[in-house]
Parts: sequence; structure tokens; C-alpha cells
Amino acid sequence: MPTDSEIAVVNQYLARLEKAFGHVPSAERDELVEEVRGHVLERIEAAPHVTEQVVNEILRAVGDPRELAAQHKTEAMLRQAVASRSPWTLLRSTLRWAGTGVVGVISLLVTMTGYGCAAVCYLSVFLKPLFPARIGLWLRPEHTLTLGYWDGRFSGTEVYGISVRPPVSFVLGTLGPTQGPVRELLGPWLFPVGVVCGGLFVVVTTLLTRWLIRRFGLQRRSRSRPPEPTTDPVAVSRFPARF
Amino acid sequence: MAKTAGNDADRWEAQLRKGCLEMAILASLWKRRLYGLEILRTLEQSSSLGLAEGTLYVILNRLKAEGLVHSEWVDSGSGHPRKYYWIAAPGKDRLRSMARFWVVFCTDLDGLLAPVLDRKELDRAHR
Repeated sequence: MPTDSEIAVVNQYLARLEKAFGHVPSAERDELVEEVRGHVLERIEAAPHVTEQVVNEILRAVGDPRELAAQHKTEAMLRQAVASRSPWTLLRSTLRWAGTGVVGVISLLVTMTGYGCAAVCYLSVFLKPLFPARIGLWLRPEHTLTLGYWDGRFSGTEVYGISVRPPVSFVLGTLGPTQGPVRELLGPWLFPVGVVCGGLFVVVTTLLTRWLIRRFGLQRRSRSRPPEPTTDPVAVSRFPARF
Repeated sequence: MAKTAGNDADRWEAQLRKGCLEMAILASLWKRRLYGLEILRTLEQSSSLGLAEGTLYVILNRLKAEGLVHSEWVDSGSGHPRKYYWIAAPGKDRLRSMARFWVVFCTDLDGLLAPVLDRKELDRAHR
């Protein structure tokens, strides 16, 4: 029979778990905490001699509350993202995913680049009426094509936006200053072209991000971890080393 | 150098176990309803998968969200209810396709690995 202090240790653990779940919907959080609570109590009931050390071993085997909550929250967020069309949701999810590994970081870069390009297209459309001589599709001397904002200088000129320089250069930002004439190519056609290109970037990025999450995020999130070796002989006899 | 090789082997084993967890959990639910601790015990008895205990509940939660398992709280009479899980029809389909792939995969690799281990090691591995 566990003493009050051992029960307090369990309750502290469950409170930390509940706190770590943070913004997880309360029904889901309560259910998970209740399930872990039942698991811990049953482990304790199965122990022949309950000591605080045994209780701590049991809790250690269950796992660190923050890690468990982080694992659950990342999974829940990725599941939500797979069904979502919201760039904000997809960006938040890939940002969280990026904290767990290389594939997540690559996905975040892909998502940020795609939505970044869409943002440049839409910003160009909205800012064109305010800065008609500075916003456009600019052709620079070294055959660099840039959609965005030109600083208006004729020497050391810079254009900020999406830049493409054949055959391989692609930059979201600026490619650096150049000398020579800068020519605007679209004029009023920037409005339809900007809207269509922005839409295409959003659609392609959304589909690609959702595919990346489905393919690499959700299938591989389960964590397998052999527990730390336990030194307590009672705990060893009750709880096999593998678990 | 030897330490690095050992770490690589450990990492490979961990990855392999990780990849099999979902299949093993679904397989443990193939014939009957089980609650979390029973699933852990089943995995312990019939596989060498290492699993942090709390992680099981995160995986079960995901399997449930994906519609692969169903769950229900049952009063155990011991003062705390137990959440029982059973495999759903899509879960059975998923597990069948996993099992088919697994059997072919293992058979092919067994043939490839046969010359690597001597008879004694093979017997020991099969035990």
C-alpha cells in the first residue's frame, strides 16, 4: 500500500504531465493523464514492496512528462496539418516538426520558401498602386529576373523579392547590387500575374507540405527507447529491464 | 573507432525497433481487446521491442486518431478504470499488408544473411 508521500510523488508527476500538455484540448488531455495514472497505479499495486524509490523507477519507466507531451503535441499538430489548408497551421506544424530532426528542418525550409514566394507575389500586387515606379518584374543586366521592389538607384542598384538568374540561382531576398540598366517588364500585367503566381505558390506549397508530413512526419514519430538500467533489486524483479 | 561502430549498431537497432512498433502493437490487438499495460506485457513476452512505457499511449492515441483501433473505458473494479483497445477494420487491413511485406522481407534477408553466421550463432539467434 503506497504511503502519502509516495502518492504525492505520483500526483506531482501527473500534475507535471498535465501542465506539459498545455494547449492540448482538455478532454484529450484528461483522458491521456487518466490512462497514465491507471498505468502507474497498477504498476505500484503489482510491486511487493512499495518504496519511494520503486515509485520513482516506475515513473522513470513511463517517461519524462515533457518528452511525452512534446511527442503527443507534435503528432497531434502534424495530424491536424495534414487535413488543413491553412498556411499558418502548416507553418506552425513544420516549425514544431523541425525541432525533432533533419527531415523536419528540410520541410520547414520548403514550406517557408514556398509561402515566402507567395507572400512576395501578393505584396507586389498590393504595393504596386502605392509605389508604381518601384514595384514590378525587373530585368537586370546579367539576365537576372526579379519580382519585387527596386531601390531606384542607377548605380549599385538592388532589387528585393524573388530573384532568378539562369541557370541555377534562386534567391528570396536580393542577389546583391549590380551596375547597369534595370528594366520593368510587366507594367499593369503585374496584377493578374502576381495573383496567379501567388495562388500557385500557395497551392503547390500546401500540397507539398502535406505530402511531406504524411510521408515522413506521421509514419515515423513513434519513439522507441530502451529504459535506463535500474539498480533497485525490487524494481528489477518487478519491472523487466526491457520495459 | 570500435565505440563508433557500437553506437552505429545501437542506432540501427533502435531505428529498426522504432519502425516495427506500430506493427507489433496492432498485432498484439489482433485477437483480443487489451488495455495499455496488457499490450506492454504482450510485447515484452513475444518481442524484443524496447519501448518507453508512456510512448505506448502516444502511439495508441495516434492509431486511434487514424481510425486503426477503437477504445473504450471499462471499470476494472480496482478503483481506476482501464481503457481497452481493439483493432478496427482499417487497422486489420494495414496490419495484413505490413505482415505480407514483413514475411517477404525477412525471407529474402534470411537467405542473404545465411552465410554470415555459423550454425551455433543461428541456433542461438532463433532461440
